[in-house]
Amino acid sequence: MAHTHDSDHYHAPGLQHQFEDMKQQEESVSIAMWMFLVQEIMFFGGLFTVYLVFRSRFPMAFAAGSNHLNAFLGGLNTLVLIVSSLTMALTVYYAQKGNKSMQMILIVLTMIFGTVFLGVKAVEYTDKSNHGTIPVDGWNRKTSVGEHPAAEHSALVLPFESKVSAAETTSTSEEHHYVNPKGEFQIDKEMMDVIRKEEKFFTKAEEIGYKSNGQIDENKVRNKIRIFFWIYFVMTALHALHMIIGLGVMLWLLWKAWLGTFTAEYFAPVEMAGLYWHFVDIVWIFLFPLLYLLGRHFLAGHS
Amino acid sequence: MANQTEEHNTHAHAQEEHEEHIRIPGYLLVFGFLFVMTIVTYFVALTDLDSRLFPGANTLVALLIAFTKMSVVVLYFMHVRWQSKLIWLTALAGFFWLAIMFSFTMQDYLTRGSGVFTN
Repeated sequence: MAHTHDSDHYHAPGLQHQFEDMKQQEESVSIAMWMFLVQEIMFFGGLFTVYLVFRSRFPMAFAAGSNHLNAFLGGLNTLVLIVSSLTMALTVYYAQKGNKSMQMILIVLTMIFGTVFLGVKAVEYTDKSNHGTIPVDGWNRKTSVGEHPAAEHSALVLPFESKVSAAETTSTSEEHHYVNPKGEFQIDKEMMDVIRKEEKFFTKAEEIGYKSNGQIDENKVRNKIRIFFWIYFVMTALHALHMIIGLGVMLWLLWKAWLGTFTAEYFAPVEMAGLYWHFVDIVWIFLFPLLYLLGRHFLAGHS
Repeated sequence: MANQTEEHNTHAHAQEEHEEHIRIPGYLLVFGFLFVMTIVTYFVALTDLDSRLFPGANTLVALLIAFTKMSVVVLYFMHVRWQSKLIWLTALAGFFWLAIMFSFTMQDYLTRGSGVFTN
């Protein structure tokens, strides 16, 4: 009964010897990839839990934080990622067809959109640094005493969006002369008014966390907004790291596609890279509303 | 060698199934849906639903749209719709564990009083 693989069995070109057939191999590979994605869900899930806990405690500080972000750039990045997901899905489609040139074109397009995403992210991070919202010592642009942190995305006033340029609020009080060591950003005046107006809806934690001696204390509110910015930076940076890794995977895929590795019968790596890319897209689909959009309606009517 | 041709046939069949997934118009349709939903969620967020409908309406709508977008990506772009039950189970298990993490964490924090985060 000693029959060897070579003589008796039809062998698909991409079939590895431990599998019965391509179907079993593909299923095994998919399961492994999904297991990896599940642990990625839990990895990001921890941070989403942090978001949930702190937002449930300080909803108004989070609303104020959201209003410091640029929702237009966030939305633009969402669209860029969706386009890259489309090109990625089409890459898999053409890999299944064994079309080498379309595969390579679409991988390059996916990489271009991924890079655009990271570019926009860099613009946003720079803006945050100029504006003084990074909650780490010395990571913000230094401003001399008396000078206000730079206006937030001042070059870009968007249709349908109220201006949320916190620095535009001309500060009259002398205490506001910072050298901006760790996020001494200024809270938008209108936002502070909204927070005061919402006082009767404060959670218990807000009641304690925003007030000193029964009065709403801007510095304490700013501390809570810093919690939002910690979460914002950690989550978006982790997401950006995933994008960078994704771009590395794409580069490898491009190389393999160029070598003609993928055929109509063997394209599992393309499909798995696609799963990873779509997963990263999904994380952003949630980050966008949670970080940029929620709480924006408080100021939307005011422009 | 009948065995060999038979295997050839089943293989060719499996290949056809693969291509059945969703063609280019289908992908474009899914993409269009995601695109439109992104625009919708942006403008809905700038509308004060909280005072017009009920408190938390903005959050609810934003999350519903995000869940819809996620489902579409998972089902069509990630091909889960055409996958085996085992893959479905794996994907759903991820969300189940996530739900456990959220709910158990929150049932702790929400019943703890306000004695933390006071500074």
